[in-house]
Formats: sequence, structure tokens, C-alpha cells
Amino acid sequence: MIRTRLDSPGKSTLSPISILIHLLLLGALIFTLIPILFMFTASMMPRKDILKMPYRWIPQGFEVQNFIKAIAGNDGSFIFIRNYINSILVSGIVTFSTVLLASLTGYGLAKFKFKGRNFVFLAIMATMMIPFEAIMIPLYLVTTKLHLQNSYGGLTLPFLVNAFGVFMMRQYLLPFPDEFLDATRIDGAGEIRIFWHVVLPNCAPAIATLSILTFRSQWDNLLWPLLIAQSEKMKTLPLYIVKFAAEKYTDEGAMMAVAVLASIPMLVLFFTMSNYFVSGASVFSSRKG
Amino acid sequence: MKKAYIGIDKKLARWGWIFITPSLLFFSLFSFYPILNAAYTSFFRKNILSLKPPTFTGLKNYIYLLKSPDFWNSIRATFVFTLGTFIPLVVFSLLLAVMILLVNKKSQKYLQLAYYAPAVLSSVVAAVIWLSIFNPRGLGNQWLNFFMNTPGIDHQWLANSFMVQFSTILVYFWKYIGYFVVIFIAGLSAIPGSLYEAARIDGADNWQSFWRITFPLLQPTVVLVSVMSMLQCLKTFSTQYLFVQSGSPQAPINVITLNIYNTGIRDHQIGRSSAMSIILFLIMLFFTWFQFKASKADSVSY
Repeated sequence: MIRTRLDSPGKSTLSPISILIHLLLLGALIFTLIPILFMFTASMMPRKDILKMPYRWIPQGFEVQNFIKAIAGNDGSFIFIRNYINSILVSGIVTFSTVLLASLTGYGLAKFKFKGRNFVFLAIMATMMIPFEAIMIPLYLVTTKLHLQNSYGGLTLPFLVNAFGVFMMRQYLLPFPDEFLDATRIDGAGEIRIFWHVVLPNCAPAIATLSILTFRSQWDNLLWPLLIAQSEKMKTLPLYIVKFAAEKYTDEGAMMAVAVLASIPMLVLFFTMSNYFVSGASVFSSRKG
Repeated sequence: MKKAYIGIDKKLARWGWIFITPSLLFFSLFSFYPILNAAYTSFFRKNILSLKPPTFTGLKNYIYLLKSPDFWNSIRATFVFTLGTFIPLVVFSLLLAVMILLVNKKSQKYLQLAYYAPAVLSSVVAAVIWLSIFNPRGLGNQWLNFFMNTPGIDHQWLANSFMVQFSTILVYFWKYIGYFVVIFIAGLSAIPGSLYEAARIDGADNWQSFWRITFPLLQPTVVLVSVMSMLQCLKTFSTQYLFVQSGSPQAPINVITLNIYNTGIRDHQIGRSSAMSIILFLIMLFFTWFQFKASKADSVSY
């Protein structure tokens, strides 16, 4: 769009400014992609190649040893696999419940008129201003009192729904035609049926975006599992990575292999659903540090 | 007739409440209660492990913090990190967004995705990648020595107190630049093209349309992105935690969240860490309020 605004017509594309712009964009491209490329290539190299100067960007072979070390762990306990499954389970549970509760609440706030509706909406929005870091200590105390440390319940409980999800679903449902809902009511459909069969299927794009945002933020969550999961069995992937990095600081190949394995689900999601990632970013999200 | 109508209304209102109740309960238990509890606990001397009941100490925790050099160091570390990260983030993401919109349509999409890619990786993975790059014999030194023509020098990315701060900033900048580029592109695309056409008919050149139309109309987005990135920076934890665990000195990057974690969980000083949490909360609340005011004052309709 801007192209037509700023480029006067007929200007050659090889003007100095245009070349400069392309060079800067290319520089930024290198800056963002090189570390990712480094992660992949280094994960396939033996240590002596990783530290070779200059760095050889095309691996000579495939160092399986790195991946074996990554999965077997420092002590050969293969706890990595369990931690990986934990991450998938926790992220999955949280995503499912966030989507369900956020769309229920968003629908309730967008399409039903009742006293106190605006107050409830504002109150929920206010929780967006409460950073997790400020309430983690009381949450930790509650969870320990309920004896939920080292359990999936404890890992997921504080994240079952979030204000941003409610906000997003409400915004998405506001323009949904009331007449349509009323028509199904006249046809005799119950409210739950309407929600399940009419509202939810019509929210697919919003649900996809919210799912990705939620899944990613849980996949990324380090702070809360750090508090709650002390037993090796209940740790999640980020905790495994921290421990592995602290102990294997000098084994770059194995470290990058762990990083690759931890990134695969997100990268697969990104390549198949990149539009939802990008739309998620532009729905001004103010979550996640 | 009238009675039945009211009945339906009431029935629907009831369903509205049914739909929102689960979340409402959740938010009360896991957001409102904890923040009140944190505020309450911050007035007590409380130790997780001790069986003694917490003793009320009034503002003592806050006074202790205000006198503690360690706490002020955390405030310093947090603000150095925040300022050092969010200003370049906003400037460069805006610059990149404008430049992306100048190239042809087809490359635009791919460029956005490529810049966004680091944001897809988890922050721990990002920190691990850079940990290897910052290795004394790693790529970081190789590149810097190449560009500065200083062969063989170790820049101590993770050891020197200035460099370790710079390193955390670099990781964060790398991870989030694409995210804000996407937001800026959304903001730029929302400016209606008719304004530019009108300006062109009135004889405005490109620079004039940029400074008179794009720039003022983009201000709300700039404010939004600034505050958003600032709030995110204030909460940073993963990178610093991982670096410290891998042997970096803690003091230069002992950001406030790291300090809350260490004080509360490692040292069991619940009251003190609650007081710190409340201070962090108030700082962030101030910036949110500031955002609200600024975006209201700047809001334009077109």
C-alpha cells in the first residue's frame, strides 16, 4: 500500500535509496535468521567443527551423538522424554481449557445483556494489568497448601483461562448477528446447543489464533514450573533445558540438539499456520515476557 | 404478551451469567485473591519453612527494601535492561516496518515471516542459542573481531558486567523485533489510502505525506508498542535466569523478577518478596496508566 504512496511513479527501482533499503532489509534478515541456522547446523556437528574458525555453515555429516546426548541427558536417565511429554500435556490442557472458557465467557459478555455486564468485563480486563510475577508467590502458597506441587493440576491451574483470551473472543463475537441466534432459539435450540453448534464453529479463526498463542506461551513457561515442579519426573522442557545448559555448557552440539528438539513442535506449527501466528501478534497482545 | 417478553430477557440474562461464571470464579481465585494476598503478605515477616506464625511488621519490608543495595541494584538492572531493549526495539521495528512496506508485495509476506521466526522459539531456546554464540570461542567473538578488526580478542560476552547486560539485551531484541514489526505493519496498513490520495491531489510530496499523515496517525501505535515492549521488558526472567545458571555473574543482570524468585523461593523470605512483587506491580500499573492517558490524548478518528 505504502509503496504507491511513497514511491513516485516511474522511479527506477535501482535508485540509491532503494538499494540502501534492500541492503538494510537483508542485513536484518541475516541478523534474525543466522542464530536459527546456527542452531540447526551446530546440532549436527561435532564440537571441533562448531568452534572452527571461520564457522562452516554446511555440516560435513550428521553427528548423531549430539541428539543421543540430548535425549539421554547428563545421567543417561532419558528423563528428557518424560519432560517432553509433560510439556505437551501441560500446554495441551491449558490450551483446551483456555479456548473453552474464553469463548464461553467472551460469548456471555458479547451476546447477553445483564446487569453488571460492563463491570464484569472491566474487572476481567483489569487482571491483564496484574503481572504473573507479582502474584506467583501467593499462587505458590495456595498450590502448596493444596498439595499440588509436582502434579499436572499444579502446573496448569493458574493458567486455565486468561483475560486476553476473553477479550479476544468477545471482540470476535461482538459483530455476530443477534438475529441469527434468535432464529435458532425460535427453532427450539437450547443455549448450550447454540453455543456448541452455532457459536463455536463460527469462531474457528479466533480459536486457532488463541490456541497458538496459548500453546506457545505454555511451551515457553519457565517461571511457574520452576516453582512447582521439583521432581525430575514432573519438570517441563524449559526446566530440562536450563539444567542441561548449566551442566553441559561446553558441549554446544548437544545443547543445540536439545534446542532443536524443543523447537520442532513450534516450528511445525509455524510453518503450517503462520498466518495465525502473525494475526495473533497484531491482536495487540500484552502477555508473556 | 409483555410478561412473556420480560421472561425471555431474564432467561437470557441468566444464561449470560451461567456462561461467565466459570471464568469469573477463576479470576477471583487466581488473579484478584493472589494480588490482595500479596499486598497483605507484604506487611508481614513470613518465612516459608518456619512454623512460627507470620508477624505483622507494617511497612518494615518496604523500608528494608528501600535501604537494601541489592534491591536498588535490581531496580537498576531492570531499568537498564528495559531502556536498553525497548528503545532500540521500537526504533528498529518501526524502521523495518516502513522499509518492508516499500518493497514489492510478494517479498513483504516472506520478510515478515522471516523476521517473526525468532519469536516462535521459546525464550529458553533463544537464550541457549545465544549462550553458544557468546562462548569465548564462539561466533560472537568471531564476528565482532571480524567487524572491528581485532583478531583474537575475547569480548567476555558472559563474564564482563557490561557485556553480560548487553548480551541479555541482544537476545531479547533478537527475539522480539519481528513481533513488533508485525504490529507496526498492522498499524501502518490501517491508515486509509484515501488520505494519501487527497494529499497527493493537494500537491504533497512523499516526505510531506510521511511527516504530515503517516507519522501523526501512527502515534497511537507507537505509544502502544512502546508501552507493551516496556511492560514485557520489566517482566523479563528466562534469559537472565538461564545465563546465571550457566555461570554468568548475577549482580549485573539480577532483574527484579529474578530477585523476587530468589528472595521468595530460595531464601524463603515470603514477606519481603511479596513487597517486591507489589512494587513491580505498581511500576507496571503506572506505565499502563500512562499508556492509557497517552493513547487517549493521541487517539484520532479517520
